[in-house]
Amino acid sequence: MTDLYRKEIEIKKEQFQDLVSDLNSPLNRTGSSFKIWIGFLLLLIGIAGFMYVRQLQQGLGTTDMRDIASWGLYIADFVFLIAVSLVGSLITAILKLSNVKWATPLTRISEIIAVAALIAALLIIVVDMGRPDRLWHIFVHGRLQSPIVWDILVVNTYLVISILLLYIPLIPDLALLRKTMGHKPKWQQKMYKILSLGWQGTEEQFRIMNLSLTALMVIIIPVALSIHTVTSWLFASTLRPGWDSTIFGPYFVSGAFMVGAATVIVTMYVIITNYNFKAYITDKHFDLMGKLLVLTSLVYLYFNLNEFMVPAYKMKSGESAHILGLLVGEYSLLFWSVQILGMILPILLLIIKPFRKPKPLMIISVVVVIGAFLKRFLIVTPTLLHPFLPVQNYPESYHHYNPTFSEIMITVGSFAGIMLIISLFIKLFPIIPVYETAHEKGFPNEIINNS
Amino acid sequence: MARLNTIVAILIFACSLGAFSQTTAWEVSADQATKKNPLEILPKNLALGRNIFKRTCVSCHGEKADGKGLIQSTNLIDEKFQKQTDGVVFYKIITGRDKMPPFGAMLKEDEIWSVINYLRVLVDPSAIPPPKNVKLELTTGEEIKSITAIVLSADSAKLPLNEVDVHFYVKREFGLMRIGEMSNYTGADGKVKVVFPEKIVGDSEGNVTLVVKIENNFLYNDIETTAVKKWGTPLLSHEDEFNRRALWGARDKSPVWLLLLANGIIAIVWAVIVYVIYNLFRIKKAGRIFIK
Ligand code: HEC
Repeated sequence: MTDLYRKEIEIKKEQFQDLVSDLNSPLNRTGSSFKIWIGFLLLLIGIAGFMYVRQLQQGLGTTDMRDIASWGLYIADFVFLIAVSLVGSLITAILKLSNVKWATPLTRISEIIAVAALIAALLIIVVDMGRPDRLWHIFVHGRLQSPIVWDILVVNTYLVISILLLYIPLIPDLALLRKTMGHKPKWQQKMYKILSLGWQGTEEQFRIMNLSLTALMVIIIPVALSIHTVTSWLFASTLRPGWDSTIFGPYFVSGAFMVGAATVIVTMYVIITNYNFKAYITDKHFDLMGKLLVLTSLVYLYFNLNEFMVPAYKMKSGESAHILGLLVGEYSLLFWSVQILGMILPILLLIIKPFRKPKPLMIISVVVVIGAFLKRFLIVTPTLLHPFLPVQNYPESYHHYNPTFSEIMITVGSFAGIMLIISLFIKLFPIIPVYETAHEKGFPNEIINNS
Repeated sequence: MARLNTIVAILIFACSLGAFSQTTAWEVSADQATKKNPLEILPKNLALGRNIFKRTCVSCHGEKADGKGLIQSTNLIDEKFQKQTDGVVFYKIITGRDKMPPFGAMLKEDEIWSVINYLRVLVDPSAIPPPKNVKLELTTGEEIKSITAIVLSADSAKLPLNEVDVHFYVKREFGLMRIGEMSNYTGADGKVKVVFPEKIVGDSEGNVTLVVKIENNFLYNDIETTAVKKWGTPLLSHEDEFNRRALWGARDKSPVWLLLLANGIIAIVWAVIVYVIYNLFRIKKAGRIFIK
């Protein structure tokens, strides 16, 4: 009897060892292609850095932002990155709290995307400033009445919560790493040791951890909703054609969930093609994420209908220049491409099951992500070009906005930065939660603790 | 059908003309080119020309008319430009092309001619005598609020000067506001009068500063005289408005509800965050016991 039991434990232990070495495999394999990839990202970041130094020296004149269009690619990038970061809360909190089990292997992916996107978003705001040396003024002179101050508060709060939500579930995994990564450089071992907080997997520790996680998951939902709602208020609280809207908050949030889901799908695909995770991130996960993408897209479609249909029906004189510019004018090509290719077509395709297979789904998601970025641009800039007060005596070029090479490279650099953070994270920490996966596969805590 | 064809043909022709004219010389008919400038080069219309140029053309053609304004436009003082007849220049100004706006509807013919005269004098100042100094005095009427400028020669004879353009302003927070006409010419007695407009806001006591100038004149050097009068409507103090707690208020004047709401939310959310961070220490502590 006891022999049998012991045998069973031995088998379980072995299975668990396999699971751990599977999930930790990216940490142990660093090929040259990875180094090239990192080099490439560093190159892009270097170019962006160079462009930024030039911008610091010469001023914002190196961008195409002028008196009329004073917000351009940078702000579009900011809104886009904030949108992307919302997925952290969608997958780790909303799905988790509603007891959706299949999303467990995706939680860490979405949380690191959120953290990386937030860091880039905070940086890009500084890039957009003409006088970054006066950043501290916002803390010393900022008025609580200003949405900009709310935005700063809420973005930083969300970043802290996201980091905690990334870190806390990682603690048991870090304890495992502390035990299994003896062959790694000293600093790395030390990092695992410090970060794992002396985790032993006691009942008390689990209790505190779960308590903390629940608290965070509950609090992150309103914070996540408000981070993007406040971002939308930066626009909606001003009297401008196209921004003067009461549904901007939910419009932004729904769009954010959509692009966030797409980003996670793309990242999942990249991860399974590079690492041997097919057993953990399966076709089923892609299928379900595809469905989630359709759901969020449908909600977004509904808000788009409201956002453009109602003003276009009324065609108020002040707003008509802006709406016509989008629907049939200067920006119509971009507008319809974004709406049709980036939203309607994906919905139509993704309700058909074969399109939710990993590869087609990934391709569609890439289109959705690009469309979402351009959509943010369409929200930010055309409005500025059509202010309610007539513009006079400006050079013709001020009436248009075409991002300069410098702006484009800095924006590209922000994406490279995000990918760099994610890539390095994958090399240092298990991207699929080890403890949670083991727990859900029914390994008892004693085995996890004692291996 | 035939009509449609003609329309299309005309359109194509017009377009090609349009494309053509971008690259080639400005087409000016002989009729237009030989049109005579009806104005003589007199200080009076030079001053008008200069005023108009400063107001409407400088932004593109530059302070010196060398084409280096906010945008690159045509140099109006080089030889190539100056050798064109007044008629050609006149036609170009009224019709415009590309970024050069057509001024035909905006300026009177005489005004355009005077600008042309001004451009001529810019390259050839010898056409006019050097400017002289003058004396500028003010008297004010109280019955009907008005200012009278008296322009006298600067020498001991103090002769009244006829036909001098005088500009009247009221000082405002950030600059001068013109009152009276663009140009106000003195009569034979050397005087010119301007009525003070109503409902001009002054300082808290209703004082306004009047500024009278002779400026940009070709015959006389710049001179300026000021006078302070209690003619304005007193400025109402809005201190109370500003001291009120309101959305538009200063940093320390946020509405109470906003303070409570915002700080309340911040407090609740950060309390949770602090609690979780505290829990991290508890986790660490719980592990330590186990090791022993
Ligand atoms: C918005 C800018 C702008 C303003 C304001 C403007 N110009 Fe021009 N102007 C131009 C440009 C640009 C050209 C060159 C057009 C071309 O060659 O196609 C030009 C050309 C001209 C020419 C023709 C030069 C030549 O021989 O080819 C004249 C004369 C002229 N401007 C006079 C004036 C005067 C007088 C005013 C003020 C009343 C004025 N412009 C105001 C932009 C401006």
